Amino acid sequence: MALAEICGFKNFDSCNNGILDTNIAKSNFNFTNNLELAVPPYSNPAHMLAQLNKDETGREIKIKFDHGTTTLGFQYQGGVVLAVDSRATGGSFIGSQTMKKIVEINDFLLGTLAGGAADCVYWDRVLAKQCRMYELRNRERISVAAASKLMANMVYNYKGMGLSMGMMLAGWDKRGPQLYYVDSEGTRTPGKVFSVGSGSVYAFGVLDSGYKWDLTDEEAYELGRRSIYHATHRDAYSGGIVRVYHMKSTGWVHIDNNDCMDLHYKYKEVKDTAENEII
Amino acid sequence: MATERYSFSLTTFSPSGKLVQIEYALAAVAAGAPSVGIKASNGVVIATENKHKSILYDEHSVNKVEMITSHIGMVYSGMGPDYRLLVKQARKMAQQYFLVYKEPIPTVQLVQRVAAVMQEYTQSGGVRPFGVSLLICGWDNNRPYLFQCDPSGAYFAWKATAMGKNFINGKTFLEKRYSEDLELDDAVHTAILTLKESFEGQMTADNIEVGICDQTGFKRLDPSNVKDYLANIP
Amino acid sequence: MSILSYNGSAMVAMKGKNCVAIATDKRFGIQAQTISMDFPKVFQMGPHLFIGLPGLATDTQTVMEKLRFRKNLYELKENRHITPTVFASLVSNMLYEKRFGPFFVEPVIAGLDSKTGEPFVCNMDLIGCPNAPEDFVVGGTASAQLYGMCESLWEPDLGPDDLFETISQALINAFDRDAISGWGATVYIIEKDKITTKELKTRMD
Repeated sequence: MALAEICGFKNFDSCNNGILDTNIAKSNFNFTNNLELAVPPYSNPAHMLAQLNKDETGREIKIKFDHGTTTLGFQYQGGVVLAVDSRATGGSFIGSQTMKKIVEINDFLLGTLAGGAADCVYWDRVLAKQCRMYELRNRERISVAAASKLMANMVYNYKGMGLSMGMMLAGWDKRGPQLYYVDSEGTRTPGKVFSVGSGSVYAFGVLDSGYKWDLTDEEAYELGRRSIYHATHRDAYSGGIVRVYHMKSTGWVHIDNNDCMDLHYKYKEVKDTAENEII
Repeated sequence: MATERYSFSLTTFSPSGKLVQIEYALAAVAAGAPSVGIKASNGVVIATENKHKSILYDEHSVNKVEMITSHIGMVYSGMGPDYRLLVKQARKMAQQYFLVYKEPIPTVQLVQRVAAVMQEYTQSGGVRPFGVSLLICGWDNNRPYLFQCDPSGAYFAWKATAMGKNFINGKTFLEKRYSEDLELDDAVHTAILTLKESFEGQMTADNIEVGICDQTGFKRLDPSNVKDYLANIP
Repeated sequence: MSILSYNGSAMVAMKGKNCVAIATDKRFGIQAQTISMDFPKVFQMGPHLFIGLPGLATDTQTVMEKLRFRKNLYELKENRHITPTVFASLVSNMLYEKRFGPFFVEPVIAGLDSKTGEPFVCNMDLIGCPNAPEDFVVGGTASAQLYGMCESLWEPDLGPDDLFETISQALINAFDRDAISGWGATVYIIEKDKITTKELKTRMD
């Protein structure tokens, strides 16, 4: 240190601090601000990104990431039920059969994931942070409407740049049970019944035919479970485990997890015995 | 082709139900050089006369005994040019079979296919029947085979047979000399003897051809080899 | 998206001691949508000869019919059953005929030689390049996973019971990592005097 002083170095650390900080900030965008992602240096990145997706022959370059899901959520007299599968695929390869597609944002807020797995996971974490910040600043929990709008606004900044997510937000706030759908195109809408993902068409088939407001809790869980099971059966990119959550006035409750294989042979047995009785 | 519609087959039935063109073809065969074939217990032999009109002729340059595949050989009585066309076709069919199945063509299959070609020439327009009968010998399934194919497309499996000039005498001779447990060496000997029955002039290694087929495949005997067999003949 | 993975399939054949086995999944789907769960992809071509045709489902059926045609003609012409090796050459030859407009199938052949009883397995690419190794062959959309499973589970000289266990585990665990194959499986065990067909209980998602 003595030598440093003789040479005129008063404070070695602080003399570099300013430059280092700006360098860190410049090359590590979301390290300092997690709402900001690195984008190519064009005046209109969204426009240029669309062109970057083509190779030299004009063919589209497909960036493969985890895709394909079935998720659903519906409101009924007892609150909100969310049910999801657990398969993650990259192309036709099954990367995971145990993925958690329901994110527990806080005790009164759940989010479901569909679309690009990384996109969903990242932005749900950012949302969780934002919600916690809101809670600390305002000494009360954020409303589902506000939380969903935060999400919608965040992803809207990257519209057209390839984000892919379709999520449901379920919660219970001052105004009672809530269910919102938000996606990367910028859509944000409240509603009673939603299903999102590649298997959603199959899930809707079961869900719509069995849905009514007056469902009991058990009936509601079974409806969600059955809808997801049927979707996993027909949709190649859905499967694994069916997870069911219930959003109550006291916060969310994880109802159960069921392996699709067990469900299949359970339902099959019931169906087979029923058919035998008719004969 | 429009002209094709008027190029009727020459092989037309006579009122008595005969195909005289085929009979003429058989007559051409019966006038041709004699050939014989004999099956032995461990192989099969085919042999033929190959006499030349002039001493200036270069023997052993053009052959009558031909290899079709490594395990099938062929000889004929009748018209040489017709024979060469059939040899070419037979070789092609054998290779086609090998290309598809990666397995050497069974002798029976080759005979059937060659016979089918010969039959086609009895029923097509603008052609005449072949003026040859073939002797086809082969080895597969661990046993020898000997077949005769006629201009009509008919084919026969023989233990021993003779064709061409004096074939009736040849057959009678074989009927007397043939036995089931003949060895290949004895069969070659008998085949040469059968040719000698009707042979005019001195028989030498230069005016007969012999082919043998056994486990190791088909080969045409060298003149020196034939000479050894001739040495044992009185 | 390759046309070979339009319908999805998984298939494997293995050699054992004096026996061979061939196993297949049963899914017929159109991309992500599962249409049926009892779609035949393995066909018997002789007393000890089976061929599986994973790939595009319409070609599975067309190629099977064309092969049956050629095999029947062979049997009539030659008055004998076709051996596995000869049949493999026949298939290879037929596929190469369509070199510039191929059928989208990758055949898997399993059988015992009718004379010697020698086990034989063979697979091909869609234009008929044959490959007849000493252990096992695979085909279909789960082939990468199948290679992994077979590489670790297979061992020489397995008896029919052990071979069944090995091939079943290999197939099931392979297609459980493939989204577009599975939904039921069938295993054929080929022995000199017996052919056993077994259905496997599998995941249905």
